Amino acid sequence: MVDLEAGCPGALRRVADHEVDPAWGVSLPSDRERERVAESLGALCEAGVGVRGAREEDGPGTSPLFVASGVFTADALPHLLPGPDWTRLDVSGGGRAGRQLDLREAMLVRDDTENGLRSTRFLSAGRPGIGVLVATAPTERFAVRAPFEDEPPAVEQGRAADTWWARSCDGDAGIAVAVRDRWSTQDGRRSLERVVAWSADAHSIPEVEPIVQRVVEAERVGVAALVDEHRAAWRRRWADADVVVEGDPVLQRAARLAVYHLLTAAASHGAAAIGPRGATGAAYGGHVFWDADVFVLPALAAIAPDAARAVVRYRIDRLPAARSAARALGLGGARFPWESAASGVDVTPDLVRAPGGGTIVVRTGDQEEHIVSDVAWAADLVARWTGDARFLDGPAGELVLDAARYWASRVELDAAGRGHVRDVMGPDEYHPAVDDDAFTNVMARWTLRRAAALVDARGGPTEAARRWREVADDLVDGWDAARGTYEQFAGYWTLEPLLADLAPRPFGADMLLGPERVAASQVVKQPDVLMLHQLVPDELVPGSLPAAIDAYEPRTCHGSSLSPATVAGLQARAGRADEAAATLDLAARIDLDDLTGTTAAGLHLATMGGLWQALAGGFLGVRPVDGALHVDPCLPAAWASLRMTFRFQGEVVSVLVDADGIEVRCERPLHVVVHGRPSSCDPPGRRWAARPVEEAS
Amino acid sequence: MSTVLAAVDNSPAAGPVLAAARRLAGATGSSVRAVHVGEPGRPAPQELADRLAVELTVVDGTGREVEDVLLESFRAEGVRMGVVGARDVPGGARPVGHIAQRLVESSEVPVLVVPPDAPESAGRPPWRVLLPLEGDEETSRDLAGRLARLLPSDVELVVLHVATAATAPVVDHAEWGISLWAEEFLARYCPTASRVDLRSGDVGGRILEACADVEADLVVLSWSQDTSAGHAAVVRDVLAHTTIPVALIPVARRRDATSTATSASDAGAEG
Repeated sequence: MVDLEAGCPGALRRVADHEVDPAWGVSLPSDRERERVAESLGALCEAGVGVRGAREEDGPGTSPLFVASGVFTADALPHLLPGPDWTRLDVSGGGRAGRQLDLREAMLVRDDTENGLRSTRFLSAGRPGIGVLVATAPTERFAVRAPFEDEPPAVEQGRAADTWWARSCDGDAGIAVAVRDRWSTQDGRRSLERVVAWSADAHSIPEVEPIVQRVVEAERVGVAALVDEHRAAWRRRWADADVVVEGDPVLQRAARLAVYHLLTAAASHGAAAIGPRGATGAAYGGHVFWDADVFVLPALAAIAPDAARAVVRYRIDRLPAARSAARALGLGGARFPWESAASGVDVTPDLVRAPGGGTIVVRTGDQEEHIVSDVAWAADLVARWTGDARFLDGPAGELVLDAARYWASRVELDAAGRGHVRDVMGPDEYHPAVDDDAFTNVMARWTLRRAAALVDARGGPTEAARRWREVADDLVDGWDAARGTYEQFAGYWTLEPLLADLAPRPFGADMLLGPERVAASQVVKQPDVLMLHQLVPDELVPGSLPAAIDAYEPRTCHGSSLSPATVAGLQARAGRADEAAATLDLAARIDLDDLTGTTAAGLHLATMGGLWQALAGGFLGVRPVDGALHVDPCLPAAWASLRMTFRFQGEVVSVLVDADGIEVRCERPLHVVVHGRPSSCDPPGRRWAARPVEEAS
Repeated sequence: MSTVLAAVDNSPAAGPVLAAARRLAGATGSSVRAVHVGEPGRPAPQELADRLAVELTVVDGTGREVEDVLLESFRAEGVRMGVVGARDVPGGARPVGHIAQRLVESSEVPVLVVPPDAPESAGRPPWRVLLPLEGDEETSRDLAGRLARLLPSDVELVVLHVATAATAPVVDHAEWGISLWAEEFLARYCPTASRVDLRSGDVGGRILEACADVEADLVVLSWSQDTSAGHAAVVRDVLAHTTIPVALIPVARRRDATSTATSASDAGAEG
């Protein structure tokens, strides 16, 4: 047995000493075929910057990557700018086994005992823009080598004394990294302590001198101290954001993986451009979709509110481009793009190569107009969760107002005075070019009404508010009283009545049946009507959720990774907790089991946001309503308890549900509504017995 | 040096068989030989063999089934691949003849099945080879490596995946998701392929369509040689309708209650 600690510098011993708690560890696949899946699962992120978990020796079939969300290339179809690779080492003979992501300490640990290779790396949560990589291996298989030797010629490099630096640039964007290495050799083993500093900027080329100074200072502080800072920071983070599920180990692991990546998806300042896979991979070019506004932001609003504000800031900064886009269409307000990158113009590809050859015209960019409402909804959600009454007084409120202006100009009135939105695509992308998509129309209605209320609150012109309310009231929403739910779009019920029982879910019905057949059927890719029940339940006919689930869940094939968590949360809301748990399992395993075959390109960050929302809003039943925290849990039989910690109105709140009842812990007095009954909660907390609702003694 | 061994008779199919064997041998640096099971009163195709400059061995098959003799020849040391005609005469879609059927089911080495109407001029290097893959790690993992040993080094491999109920990929944001899925599929199962062609529907039918669409010179199917009920429908379908040679690669398979069809040719009921 190789003594891995022999010859280790003191800091390396300290780092290598920690054992990964099984409740907090994600073991990376060790087979060659899933090398890239392992890299995604082993990705470390911090403040929107990410480094994939590629093995230090890289090699064929690997895809190491260091990127920053929102920092794009200058191409016509921009993608995330690859930064210099600082994890590459000249080490040989290592295997793929023994790698784990330690979520509690946010470290990637490699313990290759068979080959005597050990490494640990982390992106410091205690010191912005600093990372550490320590490694040890037998001397004959670990060569001393300067960093960045394998970078392509386009990457600028240099050296300042004992500091190596490299800088990737494209257009106005750049990522610069500075490295200081400390090598040691003892008893046949070579060890490395590497401290790195980086700077990434979407709008200016980073200067080298500041990161050189920062890495020199960090090295002076010492790896041991950096480790301590980092661990302390994560202890605080987990104390304020942990999810504890008793009774489902897979879900527990998935929930903590989700919280880790949500907490690290964006910085707490500036503007955050969060792509569907965050900074864990190059998928989608890092473009920003509704995933950021509707799936990621709601979780951030609760566990990282400043990051949520940064997501809204990203949209605010691109309001001018959105206004221009609306004007170009002859419409008012702002038309946010389906896919957005640095500039805010639409970067949705026009064509895609068809699976069997030829090309397919991409229509999402033109038709998924619901993004306009999604942006407005997200801004409003931040205000509701943070309790920041003034949040919408400023630029964030303009997002809501401009969205209303857009819809007011977009809605067409028929001879009977009913409002229609024609030729759109809802979240269910299997059905393009439909009229009166329920999600689009109801979200537009919510937007118009919300904007009217905002105008009234500001004491501004009331004609606009009146007009918007009128348009909202006139909008058709597809309500079908006979069915007790909303028709997904005009004519949906006349389509071929296929259910999503053609294959084990999740499956891509468009891949299985072909896009033409599926568009002519009732099979649904992901929640559309059901999505309304999650986002704007108060806009819907009360009590209509069960009928909506009965109508649409059997037709939903989960052809989108965004789908299962949404459905699960709603099933829990409808009291179908056991079904909900089974559905949520699909979301939990999307990346852990690579259900889509695309985890190699990055983790499904938006799914993680959906998972968090399903747990919080679905199973715990927490919602901010008029300044009160509503709690209405519904847990499956298999779970002994569920506890979630988050921030509500700026203060840390913890909600625990177990067989005995509900416990809310708070830092200041809270208005709570438990199972529909108004109540209060004073610090440190209060307990309610299990239903019927009675105050615990 | 390894050998490509062509099984020939006196039918019109022998010409394309021998020509295909020669092309494959020439492209892979193998030797090429032919074997004929002699029958009383019927001459061996010596003239054909001489014309194509292929050494012909005539084996006395008295008292034995022709296919048993050929299988024995295929098992000889150094045989890299056996080559056989699908049937003796052209005439549209039909099942393969009983000798070819027996050879593909029982041969331990890959068998190239050549339809009698396969174009003789086809297959000038570099070849384009269609490789249907289910994406099952048990069979697909080793297949790319075996192909590298069987085929010329400069082939263009086009992977075909026919999505079934068990494998229809979930693709977010279709304008990106298909390529993401395709990149990983290739990286995982066939890194040397130039691209993956994704289709859905009847597996055998999609294979045949893809052969024509991509202008394949050859299609490679891996299979377990299991011809029991519910198996091998795709192999039968392709062999009956193909107009280009089909290389059948036998793969070992665990036969237990939990095993599922793991190659395009073993798609079972949906094939």
